[in-house]
Amino acid sequence: MIDISSVPNIPPGFIFIFGAALIPLFGKGRVRDFYLVILAALGLISVWFLREPQTAWSFSVSGFGLIFLQVDRLSQIMGYIFAIAGGGAIIYSLSTVKENGHHICALLYMGSALGAVFAGDFFTLYIFWEMMAFSSLGLIWYSRTERATNAGMRYILFHLFGGCALLGGIIIHYMNTGVITVGPIESGIGYFLLLIGIGVNAAFIPLHTWLPDSYPKATIAGTIFLSIFTTKTGIYVLARTFSGVEAVAYIGGAMCLYGVIFAILQNDVRKLLSYHIVSQLGYMVAGVGMGAMGVGVIGTVAEEMAINGSIAHLFNNLLFKTTLFMCMGAVIYRTGKNNLTELGGLARKMPITMITCVIAALSISGVIFFNGYVSKGMVIHAAELKEMHLLVLALTLGSVGTLISFIKLTYFAFFSKNENIEAKEAPLPMLVPMCVTAFLCVAIGLFPKLLYGILPFKEAALDYRAYEAAHTLGVVELVLMTVFLFFMIGYFAPHEKITYDIDYLYRKAGRGFIWLCENPIVSFAIAVEKIVLRIADFFVRFSKNPLRGTRMMMDMIGVALLKPFVFVFNLLIQPVYKHYERDLEEVKMRPVEEPMERMSIGTGVLLVLLFFALYLIAMFIHGWLA
Amino acid sequence: MMVCVVLGVSAVFVFAGHSEYFIGFLYGAIGVGLFMVMAKILSLIQKEGKQDD
Repeated sequence: MIDISSVPNIPPGFIFIFGAALIPLFGKGRVRDFYLVILAALGLISVWFLREPQTAWSFSVSGFGLIFLQVDRLSQIMGYIFAIAGGGAIIYSLSTVKENGHHICALLYMGSALGAVFAGDFFTLYIFWEMMAFSSLGLIWYSRTERATNAGMRYILFHLFGGCALLGGIIIHYMNTGVITVGPIESGIGYFLLLIGIGVNAAFIPLHTWLPDSYPKATIAGTIFLSIFTTKTGIYVLARTFSGVEAVAYIGGAMCLYGVIFAILQNDVRKLLSYHIVSQLGYMVAGVGMGAMGVGVIGTVAEEMAINGSIAHLFNNLLFKTTLFMCMGAVIYRTGKNNLTELGGLARKMPITMITCVIAALSISGVIFFNGYVSKGMVIHAAELKEMHLLVLALTLGSVGTLISFIKLTYFAFFSKNENIEAKEAPLPMLVPMCVTAFLCVAIGLFPKLLYGILPFKEAALDYRAYEAAHTLGVVELVLMTVFLFFMIGYFAPHEKITYDIDYLYRKAGRGFIWLCENPIVSFAIAVEKIVLRIADFFVRFSKNPLRGTRMMMDMIGVALLKPFVFVFNLLIQPVYKHYERDLEEVKMRPVEEPMERMSIGTGVLLVLLFFALYLIAMFIHGWLA
Repeated sequence: MMVCVVLGVSAVFVFAGHSEYFIGFLYGAIGVGLFMVMAKILSLIQKEGKQDD
């Protein structure tokens, strides 16, 4: 009998990273698909067998202690979330992805996200952070459209900016404290740089624009992977480093409202969902800002509730958001249409997709008996306990907006009339993960203790009463009122319109910068180049034929000096100017290799003496002045 | 018409007296109103088209 506890743990990220390298060996058929499913299962098993707490796979490189496997309750929860959601995304991708390169990018992305979660020090975290950015870029570029290529460029520029800020923050933090382990940050420039670096991944306003710009343009399966890892890793690192910062909580409130306002205005289904990622991240960021997390930190009931709510919402969000992206991916896969104005009438043609989408929509909207109700309630309850009334208002109104946009999405995608649409139900590999995640949304909603058991503060979570009468009644009323007003007013129907976000300014500024580089700066560079070439040309000619070079120089100076006065004193200057110009042209026309103009020895000696005398005079004046 | 007015006035009185039981309705109404106003404001910076590029 093997004692499992004696087997050394392998960092789960390594399984996917090394697994990606072996994909080309399995061709492109069923064997490869089987291998991918085995890999997904192995990843989940490797997280399952992690012992917590533990620190392993530590190496000393140039005096820095790099830790590749730091397991505690929080990192293990994140490991579970990533392994389950990533496994579902792998199975979903089997029917839509043919290229090995796409699978390699997805596995590298998944592996690096898991690597970042289990990293024990900032440098290891940074390495995996950057790997995530580059591997996820492949998932956008595999769309092979011009829009995707351009969006991918903007995506990677944003993430390189965020990565630079993160690295700068890490270096400053290390120089100030000498500590490299992942944990709370000292105030200072490093603090702000790290907040910006993490804020890019966590989609802080106004650093969020890469998300709704790039996610809708990725491949169908790529969007599922993208919606799982980047932003959630940002939230995880934020919880490790900036928990308990009140400003961060209010940033979360702003994200919640901002994301939902823009989501309501969208016509492209995946863009609508992308803005909802920003909005739902707002709940998690708010929870992190209100909570307290760290070694030896003992939080109040509200702080523990906030962290629990944040992580619970992260877990739930992955379930319902992944389901929604899968459903809309299936709709796009079967109809080829992205926009709500072109969809409709799919309820009978894609019934299973419709049911799973409605379940996920109810979950994300925080309707009772679905998982979103539980985790949103925890975050809002924490804000109430901390008496942050403005935040309570923002988060509650965010729920109303979420409900509006998901009534819009499900109604206009599935239930509105459209006689012309042609579609059939999604293939089985797409349906299976959709049904599993939708089932989990309902299961956690009905039995929230399933979720409480895995949260960082288990006891505090078990004390929370999700279905307290007043809270439940309030949510039911909110839902009824919103649904009633949505259909009564009929204001939120989709239109073929594009809404500008803050990235409009970035793009304008970017285009302006490119124009500046291509026009004035290039013209200046050309002018400088011409002058330098003329000077060089003069020296070449002078070295070959000093007399001719001197004559050319004098002609050029004459032309340059007289040219401005030609029009004013035409009669007087014109002949002299013409003389210089003619002479210059004539001298230029002569071959450089013409025989040198000869002079007598006496003239030469006189010239040398003249230069020597000039030199002596210059030196004399210099000495006199000194 | 009369019945509607009576029902409306009674609803206002009930709401005013026991607002804690109806706070969800209030949030729902405020939320829908807020998002209508925001959508109206943001429509000023919208342009016709299907794709954002």
